[in-house]
Amino acid sequence: MGLLEMEGLTKRFSGLTAVDDVDLTVERGETKAIIGPNGAGKSTTINLITGLLEPTAGHVYYDPPDEAAADIHELRTISDEERSADQQQRLDELRSEYSITGLEPHEVVQTGISKSFQTASIFPGMTARENVQMAALATEHGSFKLNFLRRQSSFDAVDEIATEMLEAVDLLRDAGEEAASLPYGDKRRLEIAIALASEPDLLFMDEPTAGMSPEETQATVDLVERLQQELGLTIVLVEHDMEIIFSIADSIAVLNRGAIIADGTPDEVEGDTDVQEAYLGGVEL
Amino acid sequence: MSDPETDGGTAVSEGPDPEPFGGQVGDLYRTVRDHELSVVVGSAVFLLFFPFLLVDGLEVVNGLLGDPGIGGYEGLASLVLIYGIIVVGYNLLLGYTGLLSFGHAAFFGTAAYVTGLVSSTTEISFLGLSATMPGITSPLAMILFGTLFATLLAWPIGFMSIRRSGVYFAVLTLTFGQMLYFFALGPGAGITNGDNGFSDLNVGELFGFINLDGLVPFVGKMEYVFIAVLFLLALTVANRIINSPYGLIFKALGENEQRVEFVGLNVFRYKLMAFVISGSFAGLGGSLFAIHEAFVHPSTALYWIQSGDFVIMTVLGGTGSLVGPVFGAFIFEYISNVISGTTLPVIGQVGSLWRLILGAVFVAIVWVFPRGVYGGLVDIKNFIAGQAVDALRSDESSPPAEPEQGGDD
Repeated sequence: MGLLEMEGLTKRFSGLTAVDDVDLTVERGETKAIIGPNGAGKSTTINLITGLLEPTAGHVYYDPPDEAAADIHELRTISDEERSADQQQRLDELRSEYSITGLEPHEVVQTGISKSFQTASIFPGMTARENVQMAALATEHGSFKLNFLRRQSSFDAVDEIATEMLEAVDLLRDAGEEAASLPYGDKRRLEIAIALASEPDLLFMDEPTAGMSPEETQATVDLVERLQQELGLTIVLVEHDMEIIFSIADSIAVLNRGAIIADGTPDEVEGDTDVQEAYLGGVEL
Repeated sequence: MSDPETDGGTAVSEGPDPEPFGGQVGDLYRTVRDHELSVVVGSAVFLLFFPFLLVDGLEVVNGLLGDPGIGGYEGLASLVLIYGIIVVGYNLLLGYTGLLSFGHAAFFGTAAYVTGLVSSTTEISFLGLSATMPGITSPLAMILFGTLFATLLAWPIGFMSIRRSGVYFAVLTLTFGQMLYFFALGPGAGITNGDNGFSDLNVGELFGFINLDGLVPFVGKMEYVFIAVLFLLALTVANRIINSPYGLIFKALGENEQRVEFVGLNVFRYKLMAFVISGSFAGLGGSLFAIHEAFVHPSTALYWIQSGDFVIMTVLGGTGSLVGPVFGAFIFEYISNVISGTTLPVIGQVGSLWRLILGAVFVAIVWVFPRGVYGGLVDIKNFIAGQAVDALRSDESSPPAEPEQGGDD
C-alpha cells in the first residue's frame, strides 16, 4: 500500500483549476515519475503536498497503515454527495489521523518528506559542509530549539550526518568549498545531500537533471538509482526527459490540465492512447 | 566545524583566501584566533587602552595638525561602547538574518525610560496618607529591568512584524517605533515627562560600594569600566550566538529563506529569535545610555532617526562580522560629537551640519568598501598577508613567524 495517498486533491486559482480532483498513490520504495505538458499542474501538485500551497479541496495522507490505505482507496472513488454517513465518518477519522494537509512546509519535512528544487536551492555563501549541516540540525534538533548559547562544534551527530551525506553524493572532498564556487552539477548534488540530510522516507525531485550536461545527467541518474536502493527511499520526480523517466521510473503518472489521465508502469503508460493523444499530440513514443 | 569563520562577512570573497600560514604553525594560529577566549582577552586588552587612545592618542594627532579640535574626550569612549552593544546585536538581525528593522529605537528608548523610572522616587498618596517610595538605584538592577522590558517588548512587535517581509517588515517596525515615540510625547507624558525629558534618574553605587563617578587610574571614570565590562559580556554572548547553531541558521536565513523552511526548520520562530535577541542588545544599550546621560528625551531615545542611526552604524562598520559594526559606531559618534565642534573650510562651523559630513563619509565608505570599514580592513589584511606569503614562498629557507594579533581587531 501507499506511502503517500492523495484524495480529491484540488487547487483553484481565481477561475483556473490547476489541480483537479487528483487521486494518486505513491508506493513505498518505488520511483514514481509525474509527467505532463507545461502547465499540467505537476509543480502545483508537489507544492500542495509539501505545504507550500494550501489545497482548495482534498487531502494528502502520509504513511497510513495498509487497512487505512485500503479504506482511502475505496472512499476516494465515491463522491461527497454519494457518501453515506458511516463512510463520511470513517473518512473524517482517516483525515484527522493521517492527513498532512494544512501543515507548514517545515512540519511536512519533519514528518519525513524532503524536496530538491528545480534550480539548485542551496546556501551559496556557506561551505558545502555548512549547507548540509543546516539540514542535519533540523534532523537532530527538530524544527526549533533554544540552544543559542551552545557551540555548534559541540554537536557531533550533526557533523556526522553532514559527512555521511556529502560522502553519499561524492562531495566530501569539496566539503570546505564555498557552495557558490561549485560547478552547477555539484550544486545540484549538494542540494540532494541537503535533502537527504533531512533523513526522509520520501524525496521529491523537481527536474533533477534540468540544465545538466549529458555526463552530469548520467551521473545524476546513477546517483538517484543508487540512493533509491541503498537508503530504501521512495522517490517522486518531475522530469521532462523521457529517456530518464523510462529508464528509472517504476511507475508513471500523467497529468493533463490538472487531472490524472494515466497512471501505471512505463509499459502501460507508453501504450495508453489517451496519453499519446493529449500529451504527445498523437505522436508515437 | 572545519573552520568557523567569524570574521569573513557575508559577501563572497574573490579569489583564493590567502591564509597566511599553512602547516602546524598555521593550525595553531587559527585555533588561537578562532577561540572564544582570544576574542574576550583581545577585546579586554583593547577596552583597557581605548580611552587612552581616544583622549591622549587623538590629542597627539590633534597637536600635530595644529589643533583643529579633533581630539577625543573621555565620555566618547563610553558612548561608542554603548552604541557598540546595540549594533553588535542589531547586526545579528541585519547582517546575518537579513532583516532590516527601522524600529529598534523602540527597544533602546523604552529600556532607557524603564531604567530611569525604576530608579525614580515616587510619591504615593492614598486615603490622606502619603508615602515616599524610593526607587531601585542599583545600576545592575536598573539595567536588568530596562533590558528585560525591551526584550519583552520585542516579542509582540517582532511577532506582528515578522509575518511580513522586505519593505513591509521595515515599515511595520518603523510604525511601532513611532507609535511609542508619540506615546512618550503625548498620552505617556505623565510617566515620561514628555517633551521636557526625563531626568529623575538616581544612580546608586554598584554592589552598594562602588561609586560610578569614582576615578580609576589610566582608564578614567568607574562608569567606563562598568560599561566596558557589559560591552565585553555582550560581545562574548554575540560571539557565542554566531558560533552556535543559531549563527548558522541566521546566516542561512539571510541567504535562502525557502531552503531553511525546506530543511525542516521553523523560519518564523528563528526570525523572531533574531529579532528578540537584537531587541535585548538594544535594550541593554538603552539602559546604559540612560545611566550615562542621566537624561532621556523622546527625540533622542525613541524617534525613528535613532533607529536609522543604528542601521547607518551597522552598514558603515560592516555587516556580517562580529565586531565590524563597532567601527561604525565609533565613526558615527566621533563625527557627531567631535567633528561637529570643529570649523571646516567651505561649510564653516560644522555644528548641526555634522550629518552632512556623516553622509559624505557613509557614501565614500560604502562606495570604496561595500562590506563596510571592517570588511575593507579584512580585505587589506588579506592582501598584505597574500603578498607576505608570496614573498615567503620565494624565500623557502626561513620559517614563517607567528603574527601578533588580537582576537577581534
